[in-house]
Amino acid sequence: MKKIAVVVLATVAVAGCSPSTGGGGASGGASGSGTGTVKMVLWPGPEGDAMSKVVEQYNAGQGKTDKVKIEMTLLSRQDTFSKEATLMAAKSSDQDIYFVASYNVGQFAASLDPLTNVDASNYFPVAVDGLKYQDKQYALPLDVSNHFLLYRKDLVDALLADDAQRAAYRAVALKAVGQELDPKPADEWSLDDYKAMAAYFTVGTNSKSPTKYGTILQAKNLLYNTMIWNDVLWGSGGSWTDDSGKANLDTPQAAKALKVYSDIYTNKWASPDSSQAEFPETQAALKSGNTAFALQWSAGFAELNDPAKSPDVAGKMAIARVPGGKTHVHALAVALNKYSGNKAAATKFMDFIATPAAMTTYANAGGIPAMPAVLKDRASINPAFTMISESIEKYGYAEPVFPQTFQAYSKLAEDLSGAWVGTTDPAAALKTANDNLQSLLP
Amino acid sequence: MSASTQAGAGRAKWVLASPLIVFAAVFVAFPLFQGIQTSFYGLTLQDPAAPWVGWQNFVDLFSSPNFLKAARFTVGFALVVTTIETVLGFALALLMNRAFPGKKVIFTFLLLPIMIAPALLGVMFRLLLNGDIGLVPALLSRVGLDVSLFAPDTIVPMIVLLDILQWTPFTFLIIYAGLQSFPTDLVEAAQIDGAGRWRTLVSITLPIMKPIIFAAVFLRLIDAIRTFDVIYVLTAGGPGTSTTTLSIFVYKTAFESGNFGLAAAASTVIMVALIPLVPVLVKRIARSEKRP
Repeated sequence: MKKIAVVVLATVAVAGCSPSTGGGGASGGASGSGTGTVKMVLWPGPEGDAMSKVVEQYNAGQGKTDKVKIEMTLLSRQDTFSKEATLMAAKSSDQDIYFVASYNVGQFAASLDPLTNVDASNYFPVAVDGLKYQDKQYALPLDVSNHFLLYRKDLVDALLADDAQRAAYRAVALKAVGQELDPKPADEWSLDDYKAMAAYFTVGTNSKSPTKYGTILQAKNLLYNTMIWNDVLWGSGGSWTDDSGKANLDTPQAAKALKVYSDIYTNKWASPDSSQAEFPETQAALKSGNTAFALQWSAGFAELNDPAKSPDVAGKMAIARVPGGKTHVHALAVALNKYSGNKAAATKFMDFIATPAAMTTYANAGGIPAMPAVLKDRASINPAFTMISESIEKYGYAEPVFPQTFQAYSKLAEDLSGAWVGTTDPAAALKTANDNLQSLLP
Repeated sequence: MSASTQAGAGRAKWVLASPLIVFAAVFVAFPLFQGIQTSFYGLTLQDPAAPWVGWQNFVDLFSSPNFLKAARFTVGFALVVTTIETVLGFALALLMNRAFPGKKVIFTFLLLPIMIAPALLGVMFRLLLNGDIGLVPALLSRVGLDVSLFAPDTIVPMIVLLDILQWTPFTFLIIYAGLQSFPTDLVEAAQIDGAGRWRTLVSITLPIMKPIIFAAVFLRLIDAIRTFDVIYVLTAGGPGTSTTTLSIFVYKTAFESGNFGLAAAASTVIMVALIPLVPVLVKRIARSEKRP
């Protein structure tokens, strides 16, 4: 028996050392019968909630005609792409449709099937183009995501209307940014106005401030926070790469962008919790009334004016372009797993999602579809919709798309998040970030 | 016992152990060897063909400042939390090693933290410690303490504190179980001879409990070196890489950088570094079993 046990263990060990072919067939999935259950991954939050309504609609209607039933799995917001990466590396056929984004489609392309019948005319061009890799369309746009300044309109309006407050603001601005700035409406703010307002609405700097802090920075070591800081980088005249495609972060513009964050944090014009803040913490800061404004994802606006979800600030929040006039834009999307065993059925559902009717359901349920016509048509349910189209056209920029774009966001967060909150030397951080970005660029 | 009975007993033990052997083979040995194999290949998400790279992943690893920084942080973190948790666990075990009203209820509450999944604990504390909506900062501000528990200068003590909160019950449980088989006649004899509490603790209790305490320290140390969940949920290893543990480094290398070969190399190095500790534990336990 001892010999048998040893043989079993040795066999397993040798099997572990043999090259892995993964599941689902190395050649890449199958078309399947075109009917049956289709499994889809999405992440929780506004997108998952909205898609669940679309799935319900499909399963109760068109799905019966197609003889297809959709099962959606919601993973964690932080780790959906990590878990998908595991499935892709294992060439798994467990899921038929993956949730992807324009910032990782290049990374995932080897595990996806290109889509051949996407009607680009329904979508924002930037959404469709952002999901192309090596001239192939790898994903179908769902949401378009960009950033806005979400702010307390009541407080800013009160400041603009009161001469005494205006005088006090000018004094605070002089100390904060070295200039006596006049307060402006939020949609005219420069990055200096952003800093000065942060100082003015912080009780530690202005004892009469109605809020504890002016703002909250999304400064956690997280790749999505790089996207928000990029707004400040582009708004400062900087970018990831120069015209020749080389890394461009070791520049005065990048140093200025870094200083915006570090000045706000080290002067305590933002909550100290900013060092671990991302989307939910920013929402909490705004909802609590402790913070006057913040740079936030477009998906965050709707619930801030919902009395049930934000009783302290509902009706008081407004939306404006990002100070400095630049906003990151990316598309969240769904893509076909190369190793899916039922591609024909999955394609039927993706064809359904690509219709304005499905995306109207998506919008009604809280999503922000990448279809301009649907956004315009549903503007009554979310005032942000009308601004999104304008924002994308006027202020949108896109980071370069290359195979390691996803890694670049992650690396920049790792290299710069310490400097954002003043714990790392900014010049050293930018040099490291620049060198690492250069090593990832093609 | 007859020869046939002995042979039957021999076969029986293998039959009974076979489910565990199969489980270990499939879920431990196979992934282990495949992981070691992967560390010699350049397996990335962009290049699933995974060319053979030999020792290159290991060279890249040891020349990565982030890996070395993560190693230093992990070892420091593990030593600090293990020391504190052992001392506290021992103190709690001594306190609980007597009869008193409500002991069962208190015992249950003491064990609650280790019943919570670490990731869930991280999520709970991410809410509880939030400066805007968290209960803890609200209570602290009521007593005049306006402190951010997530600021760069408080985050490391905070994650140490959370680890202590969750895992002190673990060391407590091991040591408390050891105290249940403690020879009380030795303590009685010492008291008759006039030894005080402190002398009894230092000269009798501690020496006899040494193997148990050693086992608690060893198990907790290994686990602390593997720490991932709470820190990742709270800080994602930041600000920068200031709270990145080895496990977070491996995770980010695999799932954010998409470099499975390098991540596998890091895992292999960590395993090789910890393996020599196992014979030390086995030797200590064997030595304590030999003592009359």
